Amino acid sequence: MDMIKEIRAPLEFNQHKVDRQSHIAIKDAGLCKKKCTLKPCTYICPSQVYTWQNHSLRIDYARCVECGACHAFCQENILLNYPRGGFGVEWRY
Amino acid sequence: MKDTYDAIVVGAGPAGCAAAYTLAAGGVSVALLERGSKPGSKNMFGGTIYRIPTEEIIPGFWQKAPLERAVISDQLWIMEQDSAVNIGFTGLKYSIPPYNKFTAIRTDFDSWFAQQAVKVGARLYTKALVKELLYEKKLLGKGPINGVKMDTGDKLYANCVILCEGVNAFLTKQAGLRSKIPPHAMTLYCKEVLELPGHIIEERFNLEKGLGAIMGMVGYPTAGAVGKGGIWTNKNSLSLMVGGYLDQLAQKKLSPYILLQRLKQHPLVRKLIQGAKVIEYQAHMIPKGGYHFIPNLYSDGLLVAGDAAVMISGRRGTDLAMLSGKYAAEAVIAAKAKEDFSAETLRSYQVKLNNTFFMKDIKSSRNVLDYYKDHPDSDFLMSKFINDAAYHYFTTGMQSEKKVLDNITKELTILQLPLKSIKDIYAGLKYWGVF
Ligand SMILES: Cc1cc2nc3c(=O)[nH]c(=O)nc-3n(C[C@H](O)[C@H](O)[C@H](O)COP(=O)(O)OP(=O)(O)OC[C@H]3O[C@@H](n4cnc5c(N)ncnc54)[C@H](O)[C@@H]3O)c2cc1C
Ligand code: SF4
Ligand code: SF4
Repeated sequence: MDMIKEIRAPLEFNQHKVDRQSHIAIKDAGLCKKKCTLKPCTYICPSQVYTWQNHSLRIDYARCVECGACHAFCQENILLNYPRGGFGVEWRY
Repeated sequence: MKDTYDAIVVGAGPAGCAAAYTLAAGGVSVALLERGSKPGSKNMFGGTIYRIPTEEIIPGFWQKAPLERAVISDQLWIMEQDSAVNIGFTGLKYSIPPYNKFTAIRTDFDSWFAQQAVKVGARLYTKALVKELLYEKKLLGKGPINGVKMDTGDKLYANCVILCEGVNAFLTKQAGLRSKIPPHAMTLYCKEVLELPGHIIEERFNLEKGLGAIMGMVGYPTAGAVGKGGIWTNKNSLSLMVGGYLDQLAQKKLSPYILLQRLKQHPLVRKLIQGAKVIEYQAHMIPKGGYHFIPNLYSDGLLVAGDAAVMISGRRGTDLAMLSGKYAAEAVIAAKAKEDFSAETLRSYQVKLNNTFFMKDIKSSRNVLDYYKDHPDSDFLMSKFINDAAYHYFTTGMQSEKKVLDNITKELTILQLPLKSIKDIYAGLKYWGVF
């Protein structure tokens, strides 16, 4: 699905209270580079938090809607926590 | 701040609110902890609230709770690029009190539900993220659980903790009750809330004022992966969602967001949502794990309910969350009477759950996951075949009925070997629930 490159933020509609600290971390950046050819986090994440840029994984944690899919799929390399209490996505509907 | 309670409930979704409500109403002091700025602000579903099971917690809730529309019509669209076979049911009995089920918006519903628990005496803390479970100190190893630690470092103490933390279940895993759930046992959905005036919704879905419809969609929406799409009618908005099994989305390189945009372009969907304005974008997972992946449901001073406990059966989730939350609370009330919160006493929760109708349902559908794992093309093939067959059948042409049916059989043969197909179609029909 090449269209993926063209997506703009699906998040312009949402209300997020962004924390200054990230709640997502990668255990081993080398693993992404060398072992993970498909890089599923870059398309499985419904909010495009992960992008592959200049040979490394960029994590735009502010976009996260806290579904947990990235961690469920890549349990070995993605460390996912919830944002601190009161931070993160705030759905209204 | 009071920092000691009989019980602490983590998470103010349907499971947690039902647990806190039952505890407080039963005279047990309880703190209900929610990480969001208000209950429901982190929660989404399709979705439908079912009346009969919800009344097990709060009788007559539908007279007061913030609900959207009373649902009278369920449709299933089996879709292809330019066609859809529609199976549906409309029941006008459902248009009069006490109704059958309701569409709802979780920020409203969960907030209301949590307030009902507060009214009977529960203490609600919001913006309260639980990071750790606390254990009694013992000379050797850990003692029973006796409280929780928040992200701020604050601690709350209790004889017993009920985890109602939803699908990701970080604390349940931390406590060692749940093992890793593989991606083929999880589904991921994303959803747009589309604003549209109520009278237009009623016109387009052929509804009387205030009544609602639900549409499930299979085939086209998931571009070859096993999954579903769906539309729910709210008062002044539509919920449009799509998603499927995580392993299949990943293998087929499908982005759920793109699937949603693609579904919006389908000619039959486009007409329904025309002119609607996107007002929110959401995503959430469902633990479709079923019986194999139900965690240990209790240990010393600890119980697990709702999605964290994988209480999902077919389209049902909120109701099983509420019922399991209630039963967990009842086990705690009994434990309090005995002043004994050991695993041995709390085991009554497991016994109660094992005898419920939904545990029987969860058990009897335990092979669904394996089926879908072994037949990743099943939805796609079913949908293609049914639509091709319908085109043959409904095209008024110059052939005898027998010839038409022969052609349909031929279609089936092209798709797969006949024997395998018939078996697959039978199995497919059997496993084909909407959501
Ligand atoms: C797309 C989709 C459609 C669905 N459609 C339907 C439907 O139509 N009908 C139906 O009945 N069910 C439906 N479900 C399922 C239903 O939404 C869930 O089964 C139900 O919400 C589970 O309730 P719960 O209380 O266990 O968990 P949740 O509703 O997820 O609530 C968990 C709560 O815990 C809080 N929390 C989590 N961790 C912490 C922590 N560490 N500290 C403090 N708070 C925490 C969360 O913020 C949240 O409020 C659907 C689900 C999805 C994803
Ligand atoms: S985070 Fe996981 S899925 Fe993403 S690139 Fe790295 S190893 Fe691959
Ligand atoms: S939790 Fe969901 S939205 Fe957040 S980064 Fe992971 S996949 Fe993306």
